[in-house]
Amino acid sequence: MAAVAATGSRLLGLRAAGAERRWRRLRGAGLARGFPQSASAGHAAVQRRQVAHFTFQPDPEPQEYGQTQKMNLFQSVTSALDNSLAKDPTAVIFGEDVAFGGVFRCTVGLRDKYGKDRVFNTPLCEQGIVGFGIGIAVAGATAIAEIQFADYIFPAFDQIVNEAAKYRYRSGDLFNCGSLTIRSPWGCVGHGALYHSQSPEAFFAHCPGIKVVIPRSPFQAKGLLLSCIEDKNPCIFFEPKILYRAAVEQVPIQPYTIPLSQAEVIQEGSDVTLVAWGTQVHVIREVASMAKEKLGVSCEVIDLRTIIPWDVDTVCKSVIKTGRLLISHEAPLTGGFASEISSTVQEECFLNLEAPISRVCGYDTPFPHIFEPFYIPDKWKCYDALRKMINY
Amino acid sequence: WSVCSSLPGGGGRGLLLGRQRIILQHRFPGDSHPHRQQQFSSLEDKPQFPGASAEFVDKLEFIQPNVISGIPIYRVMDRQGQIINPSEDPHLPQEKVLKFYKSMTLLNTMDRILYESQRQGRISFYMTNYGEEGTHVGSAAALDTTDLVFGQYREAGVLMYRDYPLELFMAQCYSNVSDLGKGRQMPVHYGCKERHFVTISSPLATQIPQAVGAAYAAKRANANKVVICYFGEGAASEGDAHAGFNFAATLECPIIFFCRNNGYAISTPTSEQYRGDGIAARGPGYGLISIRVDGNDVFAVYNATKEARRRAVAENQPFLIEAMTYRIGHHSTSDDSSAYRSVDEVNYWDKQDHPISRLRHYLLGRGWWDDEQEKAWRKQSRKRVMEAFEQAERKLKPNPNLLFSDVYQEMPAQLRKQQESLARHLQTYGEHYPLDHFEK
Repeated sequence: MAAVAATGSRLLGLRAAGAERRWRRLRGAGLARGFPQSASAGHAAVQRRQVAHFTFQPDPEPQEYGQTQKMNLFQSVTSALDNSLAKDPTAVIFGEDVAFGGVFRCTVGLRDKYGKDRVFNTPLCEQGIVGFGIGIAVAGATAIAEIQFADYIFPAFDQIVNEAAKYRYRSGDLFNCGSLTIRSPWGCVGHGALYHSQSPEAFFAHCPGIKVVIPRSPFQAKGLLLSCIEDKNPCIFFEPKILYRAAVEQVPIQPYTIPLSQAEVIQEGSDVTLVAWGTQVHVIREVASMAKEKLGVSCEVIDLRTIIPWDVDTVCKSVIKTGRLLISHEAPLTGGFASEISSTVQEECFLNLEAPISRVCGYDTPFPHIFEPFYIPDKWKCYDALRKMINY
Repeated sequence: WSVCSSLPGGGGRGLLLGRQRIILQHRFPGDSHPHRQQQFSSLEDKPQFPGASAEFVDKLEFIQPNVISGIPIYRVMDRQGQIINPSEDPHLPQEKVLKFYKSMTLLNTMDRILYESQRQGRISFYMTNYGEEGTHVGSAAALDTTDLVFGQYREAGVLMYRDYPLELFMAQCYSNVSDLGKGRQMPVHYGCKERHFVTISSPLATQIPQAVGAAYAAKRANANKVVICYFGEGAASEGDAHAGFNFAATLECPIIFFCRNNGYAISTPTSEQYRGDGIAARGPGYGLISIRVDGNDVFAVYNATKEARRRAVAENQPFLIEAMTYRIGHHSTSDDSSAYRSVDEVNYWDKQDHPISRLRHYLLGRGWWDDEQEKAWRKQSRKRVMEAFEQAERKLKPNPNLLFSDVYQEMPAQLRKQQESLARHLQTYGEHYPLDHFEK
């Protein structure tokens, strides 16, 4: 429903709402008037911009956290940040363009509400943003840093891996930067190509000392983000950008936390375990329905939620029950986090396995632009892999 | 129409001509108000660019960087320890100046003994501070004891001045059971929470943007504290240095950037490190108030740091001090600098322009020190260092379980399994491991 609308918005030229609408009107009008009519039969129809590869499935309205409000994912992030700044007077939010509300509107209204010393722009420099954030945290204040796209996190890799992750250990617990959280838009968006689509969680999974967390929905996002902010270790929180507007559900207004390092079994089943995180959870949910309908197969669907430290027990417990495991992520196959899960599960559950563990992932290429529909591990690829596993 | 709709604050008016009022914000050097409002008017011929506040010029002329006659070097004493301009004499009391002297010389003594201990295989690695003691002590003395210090690795004199005990210096170098860092890092990676000295890490310049963040937090907390960040001229080439300078200026942080320009980054001389006028000349490019000082003149370092501290806290703005000095020792115990510089060059600095000698001349001139006290102090300091050294050597190493803790605040389940796995392994194969040297 909202999926198509989401992909309609241009990522790169994102502006404040008013300007955005004006741009689209002007460009659309110009193109329509001057555009040559397509010839008659023989020419292929002009390809429309694609429909999303998933359908967002909202979870039932949570009952135990008080009054809820309809929020999309970026609004649930704003809500979490609002709660944090209200509760913790030392908390500050910073990064590129966060002052006016952020390129994805996650910080709208916060500068006006909390002041320009608490919600502010930094120069365009990711290594500076993270280094600066570490320093704030070392001084004992709460630092919430934004990296505009996960694709641009790499200049900060040294600060994250060599500094943030190791601060407590190397100092013998004299110093730490546990009150640092880094948030960043993540994952495919339909047209993002090489540098607006990446899922770099695997690079960070190899780094003891940090936590990496990825939500599948607005309700999950707010609770997990609040947990990251309160967690006494530096955390990276990747936000699936394609869900910012596409995912809408009822989210509590008050703060609440969802535990880190706990995977969630969102659907119980007996024949196959499906594991994913972020947007891909909705893909495998649909695959589970397809499997039930077409093959009579009962799938257990797990949202991993925290990449490191990950919940080995929940996944293994499920595989011991089902005997089959399929892991799926957008990131490239080789060295992707599915390899870690696969390796651990075969160590722990070898004799329970009825078939080789299946990984359905992006290809080992940079993330392409026009070829995105072929690149992503969509429901057909996951379904096909599942079918082969069942028939093994 | 496209101009109007994309202007910040231009709103949706849609008119091309006519006066649109847009506020430009600038920081003017020397201006006590960091922001100046300039009204935009499309009818005037002055430059209206948001990116720079400047006049037009109609003659093509490039700016030539001046490296022949660079930023001058502030000093208080000449090379013989005589005050040049009496109005610049900080007139510090005898007790304080003696503390300067004793900190520098004790550090020098400790350096000689620990360097030697590495040569003998007793510790794995060491870095000396020869020739740079003035930069450490002069700056440390100008700060409050609670000002947070971020260092690189050649600032042990700051800790020495803050009375970090010899026992703890040694404990860290030996990675023994008394090491506050729990034996996790190579020697000279000191840290001390009590003395507000953030633990050293090996990657260079990473501390620079971190120090800026800490300063920002101190500003928000109204702590009336400054953060000082030390780094060498080599580390100043790292991207993190650029990031730190720019963030400090734009976010108006109470921080002192203290660059020890000692002429070498391992074997790389400054002529291969930069082509401009050192590090101080970069400061104005970022909007930083900057100065270059004689780093071997402990009073010059003191005066500059003191004034920088006062203003950084009062005005919430960063300062850059480039302290010119010379690295008399090798880069580390893994280096033999005779491979890339002459013994004559090193001897010049050791004999003719050394921060310790210059201060000693000053002390002698004031009648605050004499040869007898010098002799007695040398003996006493050496004895203290040797005692600490012998004790450190005899202590056990920390419990191997400390290999696994503090990765996170809490130990993750998987890591606990790995810890248990090592324990079981040692039960069977323990004889092949140096367990006798470690605490049980």
